[in-house]
Amino acid sequence: MLLVPCPNCGPRNSTDLRYGGESHARPDPNTASPAEWRAYLYLRDNPAGWLRENWYCASGCRRWFSIERNTATNEFRDPPLPGNKRGGAA
Amino acid sequence: MTMSRQGVQPTEVIDRAAKLRFRWNGKRFSGFEGDTIASALAAAGEQIFSRSMKYHRPRGILTADYWDPNLMVQVGDDPNVRAGHRLLESGMDVRSQNAWPSLNRDIKAANSLLGRFLTAGFYYKTFMRPQWLWPTYERVLATFAPGGKIDLDTPHAYHDKRYTHPDVVVAGAGPAGIEAALAASSAGASVMLVSHEHSVGGHLRYSSAAADQAALAELRTALDASDVEVLTDSTVTGRYEDNWLGIVQRNHPIAVERLIKARAKTLVAAPGLIERPYVFEGNDRPGVITSGAARRLVNLWGVKPGERAVVFSANAEGDAAVADLERVGTEIAAVIDGRTGGSISSTRGSSRAVDAVVADGASIGADLLVVAAGWTAPTSLLNMAGDRPVYDPAAARFFPSDPPSNVLATGGLAGDAGLDGLRQHGAATGRLAAARAAAVRHRLQSRTARALPVDGDEPAWAPDERAPLGRDPHPELYRADTHGMVDMSEDISSKDLVAAAHEGYDSVELAKRYTTATMGPSQGKLETVNTVAAIAEARGETISQVGTTVWRPPYAPLTLGALAGRMFEPVRVSSIHPWHEANNVSIIQAGQWLRPDHYGDPAAEVRNVRENVGLIDVTPLGKLDLRGPDVPKLLSLLYVNKWMKLGVGRVRYGMMCAEDGVVLDDGVTGRLGEDHYMMSTTSSGAGGVWEWVENWLQTERPDWQVHVTPVTTAYASINVAGPKSRELMSGVCEGVDLDAEAFPYMTVREATVAGVAGCFMWRIGFTGELSFELHVPAGHGLHVWEALMEAGSDLGVGPFGLEGQRVMRLEKGHFIVGQDTDGLTLGPSTGLGSLIKLDKDDFAGKPELAWAADRSLPMVVAIQPDDPDVVPEEAAQIVRGDTNEILGRITSSRYSPTLNRSICLGQVEADLAAGGTKVTVLLESGERIGATVIDHHAHFDPAGERLRG
Amino acid sequence: MAGLAGRLRKRPPKYSAAALAWKGLRGQSWPRVWRDCDLQRSYDAVVIGGGVHGLATAYYLARNHGMTNVAVLDKAYLGSGGSGRNTAIVRSNYLTPEGVAFYDRSVHLYEQMAVELNINVMFSQRGHLTLAHSDASLRTMHWRAEVNKLGGVNSSVIGPDEIKKECPSLDTSDHPRYPIQGALYHPPGGVVRHDAVVWGYARAADHMGVEMHQKTEVTDILCEGGDGPDGKGAGGRVTGVRTNRGDISTPIVINCTAGWASLISTMAGVRLPITTHPLQAAVTEPVKMFLPTVVVSGSLHVYVSQTDRGELVFGASVDPYANYSVRGSLEFTEGLAGHVLELMPGVSRMRILRQWSGLCDMTPDYSPVMGFTPVDGFLVDVGWGTYGFKAAPVSGEQMAEAAATGRTPKLIEAFALSRFDNGELVGEKGAASVGH
Repeated sequence: MLLVPCPNCGPRNSTDLRYGGESHARPDPNTASPAEWRAYLYLRDNPAGWLRENWYCASGCRRWFSIERNTATNEFRDPPLPGNKRGGAA
Repeated sequence: MTMSRQGVQPTEVIDRAAKLRFRWNGKRFSGFEGDTIASALAAAGEQIFSRSMKYHRPRGILTADYWDPNLMVQVGDDPNVRAGHRLLESGMDVRSQNAWPSLNRDIKAANSLLGRFLTAGFYYKTFMRPQWLWPTYERVLATFAPGGKIDLDTPHAYHDKRYTHPDVVVAGAGPAGIEAALAASSAGASVMLVSHEHSVGGHLRYSSAAADQAALAELRTALDASDVEVLTDSTVTGRYEDNWLGIVQRNHPIAVERLIKARAKTLVAAPGLIERPYVFEGNDRPGVITSGAARRLVNLWGVKPGERAVVFSANAEGDAAVADLERVGTEIAAVIDGRTGGSISSTRGSSRAVDAVVADGASIGADLLVVAAGWTAPTSLLNMAGDRPVYDPAAARFFPSDPPSNVLATGGLAGDAGLDGLRQHGAATGRLAAARAAAVRHRLQSRTARALPVDGDEPAWAPDERAPLGRDPHPELYRADTHGMVDMSEDISSKDLVAAAHEGYDSVELAKRYTTATMGPSQGKLETVNTVAAIAEARGETISQVGTTVWRPPYAPLTLGALAGRMFEPVRVSSIHPWHEANNVSIIQAGQWLRPDHYGDPAAEVRNVRENVGLIDVTPLGKLDLRGPDVPKLLSLLYVNKWMKLGVGRVRYGMMCAEDGVVLDDGVTGRLGEDHYMMSTTSSGAGGVWEWVENWLQTERPDWQVHVTPVTTAYASINVAGPKSRELMSGVCEGVDLDAEAFPYMTVREATVAGVAGCFMWRIGFTGELSFELHVPAGHGLHVWEALMEAGSDLGVGPFGLEGQRVMRLEKGHFIVGQDTDGLTLGPSTGLGSLIKLDKDDFAGKPELAWAADRSLPMVVAIQPDDPDVVPEEAAQIVRGDTNEILGRITSSRYSPTLNRSICLGQVEADLAAGGTKVTVLLESGERIGATVIDHHAHFDPAGERLRG
Repeated sequence: MAGLAGRLRKRPPKYSAAALAWKGLRGQSWPRVWRDCDLQRSYDAVVIGGGVHGLATAYYLARNHGMTNVAVLDKAYLGSGGSGRNTAIVRSNYLTPEGVAFYDRSVHLYEQMAVELNINVMFSQRGHLTLAHSDASLRTMHWRAEVNKLGGVNSSVIGPDEIKKECPSLDTSDHPRYPIQGALYHPPGGVVRHDAVVWGYARAADHMGVEMHQKTEVTDILCEGGDGPDGKGAGGRVTGVRTNRGDISTPIVINCTAGWASLISTMAGVRLPITTHPLQAAVTEPVKMFLPTVVVSGSLHVYVSQTDRGELVFGASVDPYANYSVRGSLEFTEGLAGHVLELMPGVSRMRILRQWSGLCDMTPDYSPVMGFTPVDGFLVDVGWGTYGFKAAPVSGEQMAEAAATGRTPKLIEAFALSRFDNGELVGEKGAASVGH
């Protein structure tokens, strides 16, 4: 059972959280081309390594946060960023 | 081989005063308390304990412990019990598993004559023709399935689970493990010591050496005086992410087996070593046992393993076995020393004779052949932690390579030393484990934002300064110059493995899959390294080059009952539920909710609502309380329609689409006050929509001021529907003008209902009738319901359930998200495309919904079968004429008691969506019927005059 | 195709009872099932991934299209990925017409496989029950049954009494928290010995000249003319692959990997709609046969069958978070055991012997991605989620046709990568979230 470092609740069992998938920015809905929008909807980098991703602390503080995890080793890299699914700076 | 009980041994674990009677294959036997099933049977002279899987060869004791592949028995309704480990209990009904008609005469033993044809994987090469015969072949093959019998009436007996968060868990309670536990505990760590065996001490338990016994007594005394929690007959079955450990406790006083889940800060792996069988012709015959088996039989249970023994020894354990055997009077016919090149080629002899044939071909008469050929390091827990152990040919076993720093190995797994050396290494490991645990504990606590402040800085990660254990040289003894059994559970010989390798299955994984070696109930504990050795030999490579397989969890098998624990499936009911139960309700499960489906006659319930007034309990309806100045912006973002100008007291229907334009949920939202709204969702969507709302607010619009509170179960919800509903409400409401103009359709008011203040009342409904939807503080739900029933008794009020509501909503043509729509249904397909306001700046799914306008989409439409008495199934396909081409499907259908005809909703391709289109519906019976798409979704009162009333 | 004749091997002995007996009597051994070959500098096509999909593709390239100068590359050993880790269930009772047609062809090919490949793959068509525990799931079962029937697939909804008849070990009473309300019954569904399928395709492809290269890891895909760096990406074409054993030139590269599909496609500059999740499975100790059919419960997230060796084999839904580690979790076995005991309380004393996991490439619409990509000569057969094994024969057949002819066969049109550009997803999501 993975320990997921929630920024509010501290390390919690992964079953306390909901996985939100790869962090990616939402394109401007008024200017996005079909290709850009559908890349946002469907295409994923899916690396075997460090990935910025989102978690929702469903059984705890009910906050979304974004954090980097290595998908090959399941290590987390600090610190989590509250309420941000775009990646990069909060 | 003739085993028998001897005089009292100083080390024995049996209580000779406590005699236990049991049955073995129907016959009466007895043993002593402290005996295992196998030791009791051995003491009684039993020789054959099982038959092998494929050749039905007779099998006896091999290792006399948990891992013994030959000692699998059925105890009552419990299959595959390890007789080498399970303690004897009075009245046990023990049976052998894999023999027919009896253990001593087994018909399938004839298979051993066919051995040369039944080589590993033989079944892949035959039974292909004729194809129609394969099911018959398969049934015959399946009769060879080994193992015990399942009694399907076995109750799921009591199991519970325990959660614990110790600093240090020590897996294995030999001298090194005990020292580790004591040292960690002395250093201030909370420690759990887990012993696979029935008592702590590891190999000291069955050592007759005085120094060993003194050490054991000292360690046990120290443990008793310590704060270490000791679990016996328990196994750390798995090490998972972040030292999450599964521990099975088999001797819990109440639970049949108990699963303990421990989040250890550090794990000490000290499982000891497992003695490995030697491969030679006849190595699976009863009477061939490991040196550990001999020592356990003698020292733990006072059983003499045989009258005349040949001992093949390559290590001190073998030498000690010689001494133990001599002490109980077993004649030692010969000791063959494997360290100086001695070897065993085969065993011969009939029945109880186990003559040993040595390298020069000489045969030594004996009834017992004791083998001490080396060790397997059970590195499972390290493997599970990601380590890849490496083979050391000089020591003839695998050693840890680079486990993560919160997993520490000690004892035989880590190396060799005398007892003092093992104890010192164990203690050093325990201190290191405690120091690292302290650092982990500090880190976990300091990162929990709302925890109490943690004193001081995080302790530095303690360096590993343990003096490493040595490695005793050991000859690489895997196979003699003859072939023998490598996997006794599976009847796989070294010859099979070599043949498989020559055929091309020459990596360990391929050979394992092809031959099934190591796949049986012993989990490869005894077989893996011999398998690797056979493959290496066939490839002309070393064991290091071939490598080993990955040991997978669990370390020891555990029951489904322990894993399942107790059933915790929540049940949700509304506060009005007791009334339903007292009134002939028929319940339907809707997710976790139990809901009234009907109260005997759903058609009558429909008619009563249409003519008088009915009450339905709609508590599971999702409800979110939204507060803040930015709620209108949020609603505009989440719904496809507009919300910026909703007045206080007004209610609006909204549809939500996901970012891919697919319909997600729908419901009404009302403005209760200046900055106060209540959103309703579908019952099944309640949880998901809440998370979705939070996601948008937190990740896309964190600057908006909106506070979201789920209030689904804070309110009991009652819909009062029917032409007489206003009359009914007027009798119970205070503080609100119910007049149609003062309180029109699609508005909301706060009111006191039946004396309960703080109720919200909405002029909406799913039935198409004049309706009032009440949200009552949940604790008063039952009271308000009963008050409504009483107040409406002369109006003909009655309850109606989900079924009646479904009929009425279908009459009105309201679609249900997830039933009339599916995972690909885009917003415009619902027929509510006009709701979608593409001129809004932004809302979920906007681009897809904009592009959808140009696409030819399937549409939700109302359909009426031409024959009003035929109700197509909810799944019936709409097809093109007599062909099998699918053009749509019926998604909802009922017989309407209001219209006296069958009515449907369905999805059809765009060119069939126009009113008046004739379609063909294929019923489940295969019959095709005609039906007509109607102009609008509502089969009944399309103008909506009744609900506005 | 140069040098083809030279590389064809002498026809190896056929498998049969008579051959077994003959070799047994004479004490003869069997020849190697496939050759160990040197890696050539050039092939007409390179298949990445030596699992059932890659091997089937290579087999059909040779058998149906005469393309035998083909290499199958695997970074480990044949069948080391999902092919040997799945629960070996085969069925065709899908929800969409395109899914039904596709998997029906697969079942058909499985039925012929033992004779065609001359290896007993032990296809046991013991019947497949998909249980429904709610109104909504029962409605979906009816929907599937109707679509199945129209596609000529034997499938119908049965009630608790009939379920009890087909599978007496199930608790069809109203005692469970979510009682069984009905089931989709699919008599042709069953299980196959998955490793035998791997070995059968490898052996048959080898006989025709295809080369299998184990421990050969692709480290890059060589491209030219594309819009990305190094000539990769849309508009370009494939020229070869780079491996740990050297470069290979080839005009056709087929990505038949699972778990590494995104990583391999990235080497050609192609982004995929895939997230990789582990799927776990477990097996119990053997007991005498008591479970005659394959049982699946979507609502309880479990599927179970009993092997001919007597073990129960279980699986569930994929792990909740994306992950390339295959170590397995305790919560998986806990959940699994709970759900199995809801279905069959009598098995509480059976013991879990081993758990493992494999990597599944999940797509947004629970359907695979097959066929051509924006890079000429780079084909994909990926995104197989949790249902790749059962599709292996038909996938191989169709991918081989696509690669050999340069045209997308009708049977896989719906699964093209371009559907994600067009927003025209396949509608299997509702049925297949735990559809085994």
